[in-house]
Amino acid sequence: MAGAEARAGVEVRVSRGEDGTIRIAVDGEVAAVEPDLDFTRAVLDVAGAVLTWPVLGDADGDPDRLPSAEIHDPGRAQQWLWAVYGERVAAAVHDCGRATGDLTGVRVIAHPTALAGSAARLALGHWAARWWPTSYPDAIPALQPDLLGLELATLTHHCQQLFDGGGDGYGDDADDDQLDDCAAELIAEHEAALDRLLQWWRGAPQQADVASHLESVLRLIDDAADAAGLDGPALRELRSALDGRGPAGPQADPGALFARRDGHALAAGEPLGTGGRLIARGQGTNDWRRYPPGFVDAAENAVTWTARAVGARRRIEVEVVAHSAAPTAGASLVAEVHVNGGDPHRVPLTRRDDLWTGRRELDPELLGGVPTPRIEVGILLPGFDPAPGAPDGRIARAREAVRALVRRRLTAATEPTAHDGSPHDTPSAPFLAETAAAATDEDY
Amino acid sequence: MPPSSQQPTGERRPRALVIDHAWRGLGPGLEPLSGPGGAPLTRTVKLIVLPLIVRPALRPELAADFLEPAQAARLDGLIRDSGAHLAATAQWFTLLKKARRALGIVAGNPQDLYFQRCFELATEHGAPAADAGADVTARAVVEEVADTSGGRTVDALKDHLADAARRFRLDGELAAAWERRPPDTTDAASAAAITARAAEALDTCGAPGLTCTSPSYTAMVEAGHGGLFGRALWADTRGVWGRDDLPTHLGLTGRRTPPRPEVGRGASTATLPAPLDRTLFERLFVVLQSSAHREELPTVPELVARETGRSCAPLGLYDESLRVAVVLGGRLAAGLDPLGTGGPPGRTAAHRAVNSRWQREASVLRARRMTVSPHPDPDGGVLDALAQDLRTPWAAYMRRLWVRLHGRDVRDAPLPDLASAWSVLDGVARSVMMDHRARVRSALRSLSTGSHASAAGARSA
Repeated sequence: MAGAEARAGVEVRVSRGEDGTIRIAVDGEVAAVEPDLDFTRAVLDVAGAVLTWPVLGDADGDPDRLPSAEIHDPGRAQQWLWAVYGERVAAAVHDCGRATGDLTGVRVIAHPTALAGSAARLALGHWAARWWPTSYPDAIPALQPDLLGLELATLTHHCQQLFDGGGDGYGDDADDDQLDDCAAELIAEHEAALDRLLQWWRGAPQQADVASHLESVLRLIDDAADAAGLDGPALRELRSALDGRGPAGPQADPGALFARRDGHALAAGEPLGTGGRLIARGQGTNDWRRYPPGFVDAAENAVTWTARAVGARRRIEVEVVAHSAAPTAGASLVAEVHVNGGDPHRVPLTRRDDLWTGRRELDPELLGGVPTPRIEVGILLPGFDPAPGAPDGRIARAREAVRALVRRRLTAATEPTAHDGSPHDTPSAPFLAETAAAATDEDY
Repeated sequence: MPPSSQQPTGERRPRALVIDHAWRGLGPGLEPLSGPGGAPLTRTVKLIVLPLIVRPALRPELAADFLEPAQAARLDGLIRDSGAHLAATAQWFTLLKKARRALGIVAGNPQDLYFQRCFELATEHGAPAADAGADVTARAVVEEVADTSGGRTVDALKDHLADAARRFRLDGELAAAWERRPPDTTDAASAAAITARAAEALDTCGAPGLTCTSPSYTAMVEAGHGGLFGRALWADTRGVWGRDDLPTHLGLTGRRTPPRPEVGRGASTATLPAPLDRTLFERLFVVLQSSAHREELPTVPELVARETGRSCAPLGLYDESLRVAVVLGGRLAAGLDPLGTGGPPGRTAAHRAVNSRWQREASVLRARRMTVSPHPDPDGGVLDALAQDLRTPWAAYMRRLWVRLHGRDVRDAPLPDLASAWSVLDGVARSVMMDHRARVRSALRSLSTGSHASAAGARSA
């Protein structure tokens, strides 16, 4: 697999930072993504390093592009460097780690490999698990978390060369420092969906590429579970099915198998504001970075607010379209209201059916004075919020680009795969969760 | 400088590549030891190929990440010569996994547990015979591996300490040992001199290219600086870390000075107090909880007997090199900056390495949508508590460091040189980061399911 087929060379720059970190930068790429565009990066934690890919791709749309790397332990990274970037880059990193002179960087030709493609796919899958812009108004269906989780387990196993187990074993067992070396954990966590995955496979999907993709995922789950020593009824059933002892099943519709159990019914929820005089109303900012996934519908117009005068009092009401899987208890999402650029006022939100809603009185002084008060509303989860991004339109444009990307992927998921070869070796092939989501599309 | 384009053929090659190519050249029969793509499993390389076939300790010329052509050929030959042996190892591994399933054992990673044993079985028997004898052997090995505790368990500890007369005697011994402690002769100036030496040592650690050797480390061990620091803790000598806002004990005790250890009769991982406030039972509970290196542990009665003296020794440790590691760790912990706020001066190379890893970690967590607010937020609940821990990172660091050093002390595994000490210090820094990550993940999971956060994986006795 790795290193065998030589694709066109890519120039990279290898350099060493003041803190000893060695960086591999793909030539022509912007060195660092601004923190408020974090949702456009896919990252992977591997032995001795962190790999990063731009999710939105580059101008050429090259799906097999190489990651950039920050290597903090070159010794450990040597186990995979040659297999992802090729020998010359591995040698350059080795020299860079021992050099005392030139730290500004050397240019080397790297050769992307199948392992680089699988790693990119794994990183993209982890990205999708956190940033997929599920939205009812935008008609972007959710990815079924268990289905995606199981495929991530198989990809992790597929990319096993990238990971090692660290630590010396004295004193504690939690020595492993790679977030993403977690095939066993992913299988254990999402095991409940194995049964449905098997039904889908047994139903012999008509699209040949989907059928072979399914079988490949199931076999890798079995292999990964065996390697990690996992056992249990679901895994035993998987094994006997793969051994050909299971029954063939009726045609199974992935849309129905993996449909969300919680339907969306936007009509619900009584109107918050009644009475009073409307002062202003508008749309707030839906900055995905400020709350965890699964809370808020990702649509740009998911946040709306209304300012009213009720007698002498002034009131602001906020409505936010909820994510279909949003929790109904425990988490305290809030809206942050700025009036005329002043200090923020927090409005606690509670989930009622498909909306998060909340309201609070505002000091009448705040809304007085100017004929049309300037009101800005954002939403966030306290304690999670890393701070708002800059209000210059870049973030909104990046969100739109992400929506466009997932729409392209969902469309592609309904079509026969254009490329041949393993579905695990390229990020451009659809994830099973995307195939299933695309099949539920008509619900929207 | 133009891009280098000469072919590396005929030059040194990555050792990992040489192993990979030699492995693939061995042909079929190695699937149980290989990954999905045909490469050897990472653990196959780490647990079988390197330690049992390549044996770099015997062949130092093969210990490097890059090999000259002659060495590469040598390595290639070693692996090719082991082909039949490896195929037999693979067959034993399959058999052991089958036996494990039949016995219903799920604890532990089978590669970690069985790889070395399978290689030994292949050495002794060759490939498993196709009769019931091999199954019996496999079953016996799996059972033996599952029961290496040799009675060194938390239950045995509990039984041992349930005896009232024994508890009374141990309590008396603890009181006497605490009474006999040497007086503190460490004033603030000499304590500061000790931490300055620690900084010298740390300045040679952490970055690739640094040698990680310093005369300071050996000198500190020989001069007993770790013991001196431990005694400074008893006297609450101030100003050790060069920062007024840090307590001398860095959270090793929850009080002003460490209290006399009690015997204790129960423990829970969720509610363990600070290391030096732990009872005898709690200290040994942590040791017996850890599954690794269990065979190196003394028996439970001996563990208890030795812990009585150890718990009253400076820093709760006997070995001086481990105590010096506490001082180095303290010096490192005092300059940790997980939030990237800039922090106090006096950073060493080790600080730069660890803090830059925290920054990288923060960037990964942002990309994975697993953030905590950098600023205190009264509405932040459990996430705000996690952020608070990042503002006092030394406490978590010292807590983990002490547990690991204590685990070494009970197994008589000192840290003979600075490189081995750094490997522990660095590993603890990583573990603290991983803890943070795991807690953020668990907090977010409980928030998104609307349930309350629970201490995942907590164990008690």
